[in-house]
Amino acid sequence: MDRETRDMLLETADRFFTERCGRAVVNDVEKGVWPADLWKEIEEMGLPLIAVPEDKNGAGGTLADMLALLRLAGSHAVPVPLAETSLANLLIAAAGSEPRPGPATLALGNLTLSGGRVSGKIERVPFASVADRFVTVVGSTLAVVAAANARIDDTPSHAGEPYGTVSFDNAAAEFSGASPVSADRAYELAAVMRAMQMAGAADKVLATAVEYCKQRVQFGRPISTFQAIQHMLAELASYVAATIASAEAAARDADEGGLVDGGRFSIAAAKSQASDFAQRIAAISHQSMGAMGFTHEHILHHYTRRLWVWRRDFGSETFWGDKIGAAYAKAGPEALWASLSASKYAA
Amino acid sequence: MSIPKLEFPPFHLPAEAEALRGEVRSFLKETLPTVKSEDRFASWNTFSPEFSKALGKKGWIGITWPKQYGGSERSFLDRYVITEELLGNSAPAGAHWVADRQSGPLLLRFGSEEQRQAILPRITAGECYFSIGMSEPDSGSDLASVRTRAEPVPGGFRVNGTKVWTSGAHRNNYCIALVRTSGQHGDRHKGLSQLLVDLKTPGVTIRPIINLAGRHDWNEVTFTDAFIPESCLIGNEGDGWLQVTSELAFERSGPERFMQNFYILRELVRVLGRQPAKRASSILGRLIARLWTLRQMSVAVAGMMQGGKSPAIEAALVKDLGTIYQQDLPEIARAIAESDATTEEDLADFLDVAQYATMMAPSYTIQGGTTQVLRGIVARGLGLR
Repeated sequence: MDRETRDMLLETADRFFTERCGRAVVNDVEKGVWPADLWKEIEEMGLPLIAVPEDKNGAGGTLADMLALLRLAGSHAVPVPLAETSLANLLIAAAGSEPRPGPATLALGNLTLSGGRVSGKIERVPFASVADRFVTVVGSTLAVVAAANARIDDTPSHAGEPYGTVSFDNAAAEFSGASPVSADRAYELAAVMRAMQMAGAADKVLATAVEYCKQRVQFGRPISTFQAIQHMLAELASYVAATIASAEAAARDADEGGLVDGGRFSIAAAKSQASDFAQRIAAISHQSMGAMGFTHEHILHHYTRRLWVWRRDFGSETFWGDKIGAAYAKAGPEALWASLSASKYAA
Repeated sequence: MSIPKLEFPPFHLPAEAEALRGEVRSFLKETLPTVKSEDRFASWNTFSPEFSKALGKKGWIGITWPKQYGGSERSFLDRYVITEELLGNSAPAGAHWVADRQSGPLLLRFGSEEQRQAILPRITAGECYFSIGMSEPDSGSDLASVRTRAEPVPGGFRVNGTKVWTSGAHRNNYCIALVRTSGQHGDRHKGLSQLLVDLKTPGVTIRPIINLAGRHDWNEVTFTDAFIPESCLIGNEGDGWLQVTSELAFERSGPERFMQNFYILRELVRVLGRQPAKRASSILGRLIARLWTLRQMSVAVAGMMQGGKSPAIEAALVKDLGTIYQQDLPEIARAIAESDATTEEDLADFLDVAQYATMMAPSYTIQGGTTQVLRGIVARGLGLR
């Protein structure tokens, strides 16, 4: 979609999320309440189909459009699998099928597929207990398995979202087909998706902490006027800026380089970076907001807890750091600068 | 909520700049093997007129300046690529660095025609080097408190005062000195001007200030009734503060704020060998990812500047993060090298290099605006002050 259309969509979505994804909704999800109305409205707006081509009844947007939307969703802690479903739908469409309505999620990892049947177990699948279907890529085949054909053990994430362990025991796929996106690539796309959500959450954390410190009065003046606080928040801003810049660069490279293998190094670097700084962002924001920010009452934890969970999802800084470090070590010292300046694993 | 959005719009360096990168690389491939390794580690602190002249011959100093002054009228982004290639390949680029980055552009913007004609072609040839005369014993971060006084006398100024931390003054040709030309000490920004000072001027005395690593980069430059001709006033009398603040913006977000000790990363890759254990490779990869991020941020700021914006807060954030990265790097690298180096011999060499990097590290968050000054700028940008 063109820039103007995307901006309009983001503006509409921003207003919608502000109205409909307030504190109560996020807290209810944590208690196990599925916000069916919210999901219905999100589908009516066509958001989970943003990157599905028009001939498959989608909005015809690009990967970049989708990632921009998910950054925004991250800044609202949208407590439904919008990210997972959008990417699942994109993958389904890329494999030649038409996505069906309903929440979906990604079961990426070590599974086997034979004769249209899936076996294996994946831990920490986001929104496992509320998804209608699981999407996976095994080798270069995409498979969609209905929730009814999987066993789900709830293991809610530390952010209170309904994650779970999903087991497939020779489960019949409702669709399977050749996927231009490999299993490894699907994992990369999920990583850049999370990096962009983290960028959104980080942005919101900074805004929340700044706003709070301007309001909070101690010793007779807003604490934002104390230099110690100013410097903490400026440092926080530097970590938030790094998270945003790396995620945006990876989103751009993934989009421009094409769905099949665009921006492979950039994605690894961005997810490593975002995961690396998640703790610094959480630590400073909490310190600046004192006891207030540590309460369940306040919304800060909706974002800091997600940062802590998301940094593990689809590869932590250790996982992606190892991918990068191993490749760069293999290429040797003289290739370092050429590779880094080309945003590649090896130049 | 109404805080300004931090945005670093991803930016691609244009094809011409990437083509230039290839040329710079081939040039460095030929030139660098003869340079001593300690001079390469010191990179932008290494004074090598020979290297600067060779670079000047290629037309790569003052590349953005008008042709009439020896420039090539190429884009700011071409200059960006040259800068990062010099650092990425640890070239001994210290001699012309300040003239290319800061003093030349200052003269181009504010200097007289006579000054430009006299100086700029010599800078682009790689044979005219500059020092920055801003700091004084009592004026560091608080530059508006400078005391050096330039008293108007017939035909020029009589200058008295002392500048410190003046890098390279003992071998450079000129210093641009921030001085008080009118009003009183305490008038702050008013009444300050900048003078183009020939460092051979009678009454200008240069004494070394040795840094903790034993290097003589800095000097104390004392003015004792030094006569500076009127023709050496830069721009209008009283415009010094405006000049200095715009000059500092050139300094903030370039690759030298996160790549001064890039060689540590390269040497770390060497010492870890081709197949490090996962613990080492993951830490190495995280360091690479952080550097990559800084580069994306810096390129984004360059793109914004090319687009006519002045992203002061974003530039300050790049310097804050980048200089702290340069301090983290030798420490993290040393720790994994000690546990994961492939041979004892490689490790010993690496630890020597890392030791040097550790000694230089405190300077990164001081020069060109301390971390604390930068955080003040960012805090103002966030609406906190």
